[in-house]
Amino acid sequence: MQGKCGLFFTTYAKECQVFHTDFQKSTVALFFLVLLAAPFFLSSYQVSLLNLINIAVIGAVSLNLLTGSCGQISLGHGAFIGVGAYATGICTLNGWPFLPALLFGGATTALVGMIFGIPSLRLKGIYLAIATLAAQLILVYIFMHWTSVTGGAIGMGLDPPVILGYSFDTDLKMFYLTLFFAVSAVLIVKNILRTKSGRAFVAIRDFHLSAESVGINLFRYKLQAFGVSSFLAGIAGGLWAHYTMYINPEQFEIGLSIQYLAMIIIGGLGSVIGSVFGAVFLTLLPEALGIVANLLSGFFPDISTYFLAMRDGIFGLILVFFLIFEPDGLARRWQLAKSYFKLHPFAH
Amino acid sequence: MKRLFQIVSLFLAMSFLGGMAQAEIKIGIISDLSGATSDVGRPYADGVKDCIKYINEKGGINGQKIDMMQIDYAYNVQQALSAYNRMKSWGMVALQGWGTADTEALVRQVARDRIPNFSASYSAHLTDPEVAPYNFFIAADYSTQLRGALDYLYSTWDKDRAPRFALVYPNHPYGLAPIPAGKEYALELGFEIVGEENVGLGDMDATTQLLRLNRQKPDFVWVGGTISSTAVILKDAQRLNMDSVFITNIWGSDEQLLSLAGSAVNGHIGLQTSVIYGADVPGMEIIKELTNGRHQMTHYVRGFASMYVMAEAIRIAMDKGELNGPGIRDAARTLRDFDPMGLTPPISFYPDDHRPNMSVKLYRLSQEGMELISTETLERRADWLGK
Repeated sequence: MQGKCGLFFTTYAKECQVFHTDFQKSTVALFFLVLLAAPFFLSSYQVSLLNLINIAVIGAVSLNLLTGSCGQISLGHGAFIGVGAYATGICTLNGWPFLPALLFGGATTALVGMIFGIPSLRLKGIYLAIATLAAQLILVYIFMHWTSVTGGAIGMGLDPPVILGYSFDTDLKMFYLTLFFAVSAVLIVKNILRTKSGRAFVAIRDFHLSAESVGINLFRYKLQAFGVSSFLAGIAGGLWAHYTMYINPEQFEIGLSIQYLAMIIIGGLGSVIGSVFGAVFLTLLPEALGIVANLLSGFFPDISTYFLAMRDGIFGLILVFFLIFEPDGLARRWQLAKSYFKLHPFAH
Repeated sequence: MKRLFQIVSLFLAMSFLGGMAQAEIKIGIISDLSGATSDVGRPYADGVKDCIKYINEKGGINGQKIDMMQIDYAYNVQQALSAYNRMKSWGMVALQGWGTADTEALVRQVARDRIPNFSASYSAHLTDPEVAPYNFFIAADYSTQLRGALDYLYSTWDKDRAPRFALVYPNHPYGLAPIPAGKEYALELGFEIVGEENVGLGDMDATTQLLRLNRQKPDFVWVGGTISSTAVILKDAQRLNMDSVFITNIWGSDEQLLSLAGSAVNGHIGLQTSVIYGADVPGMEIIKELTNGRHQMTHYVRGFASMYVMAEAIRIAMDKGELNGPGIRDAARTLRDFDPMGLTPPISFYPDDHRPNMSVKLYRLSQEGMELISTETLERRADWLGK
């Protein structure tokens, strides 16, 4: 940084670095230090929110890889998470240790995701959305009716994860486990995007014909995107299953898929950090609205009744405002905020 | 700015004052006030809250007031979990839960944290303490309700052929719960099962399903849905001139159904596990006073009774000096034919059997209102526990 009045890259490799400056590295390190220490100062409710955020981050970055970076829209992500949850749960119920079960859950989900990804070679845009919607419906139907394996409508009770005899049975312990997987998922996706595959994904998203004419095997890379994305979704599902200790088909319905789509749209399509923001935002939003409603009910009992009824409406309204005023999502807001401070007294 | 400061300090002061009040019995209430089941979730939650109000006005339980924290989770599992965690860190000793989604999701959590959960998800498997050691409810489970209805239908059957029975239910955990038990018991009694159809909770039309059913000429049709799907089914049945008697389950038969379905409800049977508003029982006097005589749905009565039974368990636990989760659970398990002021049939819980009772009330539905025709009480059969 000495003497330079900006960032200049002289090689492609340098531009591709995740962190460009020492300042970035140290702030990220500081952030993680705070994050690691935070649970000791927070209530178990607040730690439980962090857990939900961690799991949502895994689901959101994985969907963003598929939809944001590779351009393959998926309405079946919720069901893929369900596949991971059930596969992991079935393994641990049969006495598998947690980590192999989780990996098996991820692998099963990757396989299922790739099977449902096959139509993506022929179908694009809205047609693919409908094909993945079919995946969503079919998978939930299977969860509901393959009673001997999934427990059907009654669902499946599970135990907290146990790794090498150590049980993650509190929110605090669970936090470090989910954080580990969330950070790994973010790093995996970030790094995939810097490889040949990642560039191929972006090329396919931008225009499939050009991608094919520069020698990208569309089928292979689309399936790869489905596979990796579903694998991570499966991991998220496995963690969710063992965190909530109970899964049933209701949890993985279309609403969950929509929620994950909303996360990556609000966060910013194609942006890894955006998926993280989206996951944080959409996990905290209902809590925040609920707390506001509770506070209001202390003063205006009647208003809070209407407010509660309007909560879903407010939620939808926020989504619409995002689409209108910030179509590039929170990731762009973040960029703007950063550059504002970087350039501070000279805004232009 | 000054104004803002004033408001903020007011908030802080109020929360401090709240925290400094004398030791209170902390009860969490998870409600659906804005989600998919809010039409019935609201009256139920009102019942729970009014019961707390009533107990506190009487001076609390053994002199200690009840402090409640109500959180709306919009029928979303994730929000139910965080609501539960919030209540847990607030220090609740017992929980008033709500529907299938939250109750099922919390079964293991309440068992781990040893917090008794009195909910309104009457799934039979929750009555088995092996599966759900901290779950309670104050109505006969869905399976028992269906069995009770079958018992009544069979005992009043006067033709010399087997009655034909059909089932219509949504492809949903709540709708599927009593189906295996119902079919098994129907066959055991001597019914002939002639058809099964799925009508979704949000469906606006059931004509195709009912046309298929009508060809089998069922005498009785079980409808396991919620109000809107039940109204759709009854109206379509009226339009198709079906002459079967429909039996609507507990979440599918209330005052809303009567107004939604109009004349299509006439002659059908609705199941309840509590009295309806205005019944001549001691508890109704209190409810009438609390609600200023404004009519409440039956769900309100069950919410009230659920809290009332929980308060009794808390009282017993306090007498033993054990105001904590396991204490309240053990106290609840000592209840024998406890009468919640006539609002529901008497309640008993046993250490190895959390079925509150085996009674279901059958009401004749008509546009004018509901009329009690019978209260069926089944035998507490061991092989039915949890099924």
